[in-house]
Amino acid sequence: MAGIGSSLEFSGSLTSSSLPPPRTRIFKIIVIGDSGVGKTCLTYRFCAGKFPEKTEATIGVDFRERLVDIDGEKIKIQLWDTAGQERFRKSMVQHYYRNVHAIVFVYDVTNAASFRSLPAWIEECQQHALGSEVPRILVGNKCDLRDSLQVSTDTAQQFADSHSMPLFETSAKSPGGPEEGTHRDSDHVEAIFMTVAHKLKSQKPLILSQPPAESRGPTVNLSRARDEGGRGWSCSSC
Amino acid sequence: MGKKQKLAEIHQALNCDPVDIETLRRAAVSKGGLLTDEIRRKVWPKLLNINVFDLPPKPGKDVRENHRDHNQVLLDVRRSMKRFPKGKQLIDIILDVLKCHPQLHYYQGYHDVAVTLLLVVGERMALALLDKLSNFHLRDFMDPTMDSTKHILNYLMPILEQVDTELHDFMIRAEVGTIFALSWLITWYGHVLSEFKYTLRLYDFFLASHPLMPIYLAAAIVLHREKEVKTTECDMAMVHHLLSRIPQDLPYELLIAQAQELFDHYPPSVLAKKAALQSRKSLSISTFQAFQLSTLHQRPDSVLQRLTKNPAPSSSNMALLPREPSSLWGQGNRVVKMAVWGLSATLGAAVFAVAQTAMEWGPEVLLQLF
Repeated sequence: MAGIGSSLEFSGSLTSSSLPPPRTRIFKIIVIGDSGVGKTCLTYRFCAGKFPEKTEATIGVDFRERLVDIDGEKIKIQLWDTAGQERFRKSMVQHYYRNVHAIVFVYDVTNAASFRSLPAWIEECQQHALGSEVPRILVGNKCDLRDSLQVSTDTAQQFADSHSMPLFETSAKSPGGPEEGTHRDSDHVEAIFMTVAHKLKSQKPLILSQPPAESRGPTVNLSRARDEGGRGWSCSSC
Repeated sequence: MGKKQKLAEIHQALNCDPVDIETLRRAAVSKGGLLTDEIRRKVWPKLLNINVFDLPPKPGKDVRENHRDHNQVLLDVRRSMKRFPKGKQLIDIILDVLKCHPQLHYYQGYHDVAVTLLLVVGERMALALLDKLSNFHLRDFMDPTMDSTKHILNYLMPILEQVDTELHDFMIRAEVGTIFALSWLITWYGHVLSEFKYTLRLYDFFLASHPLMPIYLAAAIVLHREKEVKTTECDMAMVHHLLSRIPQDLPYELLIAQAQELFDHYPPSVLAKKAALQSRKSLSISTFQAFQLSTLHQRPDSVLQRLTKNPAPSSSNMALLPREPSSLWGQGNRVVKMAVWGLSATLGAAVFAVAQTAMEWGPEVLLQLF
């Protein structure tokens, strides 16, 4: 855990010599996963509060941020949205792995190959010295497309357990469930990133306030189980 | 120079024998570029030394079978459908080029280049242009890895250093890197500009220029935004964020002129002396001189058309139109090839000398020139 405190400071340490103004803490979160799993949609959803009209391939890295209020403290959440194509991550993206506070792995629940790539992505992070001390979460995206489901929650949960990550299943398109017109309060994409932010702020092990519904691990199926999770997930956002 | 006069000059240059390529290049670079898509359809092929009467056939159905990059191409094209509804043609020309040249690897952003060509010149000519570009200007981006691309990006900071040390140092301190310019470089800005007319204007410029020109334009853009950069927080995220979002109302004509000026003042050969740039050779750069020489002795369309056995059905204009069938690839092909060989021979020793150095780096590329 020691790493987090010091690297957080880093983001503000360059210019603070005498009487620094009260600084906004920055949480830097990198979002990775195969091409087309919806990394851009997820990050856009969180930062802009809506599903993007169109997203095209991300070339290199894209950057989005949002100021949130966590327990009275203003915190800037920086999301680094990365290109999915392998050639980019090999020689381009590593620059952006530095000083990362948390990692969000994304796969597409309707694309088994994107799930099978996860070990490679985890390996990739380890190569960049982002070990298990850096909070990591697993997000299965596009779970609004139930008819073409290829990765079962059980399979994903097993994988998440074996890597000590919490698993979230959601949809950047309709994060509040199949019915449209979601408000931020009931927005589960919101909840995912806010959970990470809370975790980073508290720097305590990630314990979900929602009791695990029926399964072994901390699966949170955000699309299906939102009523049960209501209280614990409502984060004050600005 | 007025628009009318420019049009007249371009037409005159096109009708010279050999084509007055220097005038066409100047027109593409100077204010307003090539002005209209109709002119682009005529001049772009000349800038790349392509005989429009000998275009490759439309890709067959088999092109979409079993290519290693098939899924990625499909994914990227589908996502760009809002810009270009004819995704099938786009997928086909991309896969056709990749299939013809197994040494070329698809990268995300290649589809942005392909779509720009396709929208202007139509399927078969886009295929010919894309084929040529992929083997020359874009060649470095199409290696199995992106190490060569990184090398090209490494030219950016030395240009800034020459012009504005303070800005350069600020960016170094911020550790911003150069990835903010990656999509600019490998898509020739097609990925980041929302106004298609600006993309076209830049394509005129780049098609007539050295393969490194997109980097010089990147430098011109960063320099143009110097004040904004310097007043932002000296932090990787902030500077990356600022620079990667390209303002949509940039003064493109001015920036093009400045990029050209930067290129003239600090040519790649001068920058290459920088330590960071010495370690690697670029195929695009090393083959460029030979490529440019090869464009010098082209026949005008009127002559090229006569040289073919089966003249196109109506005017030369018609043959230039996209989707106009022309059966020259089969029979007439040989005659044209002979003519091209003849022309190539006249280039003689000069090309040979350049070719020798380039041969070291890309023999297969050079063979396509002749």
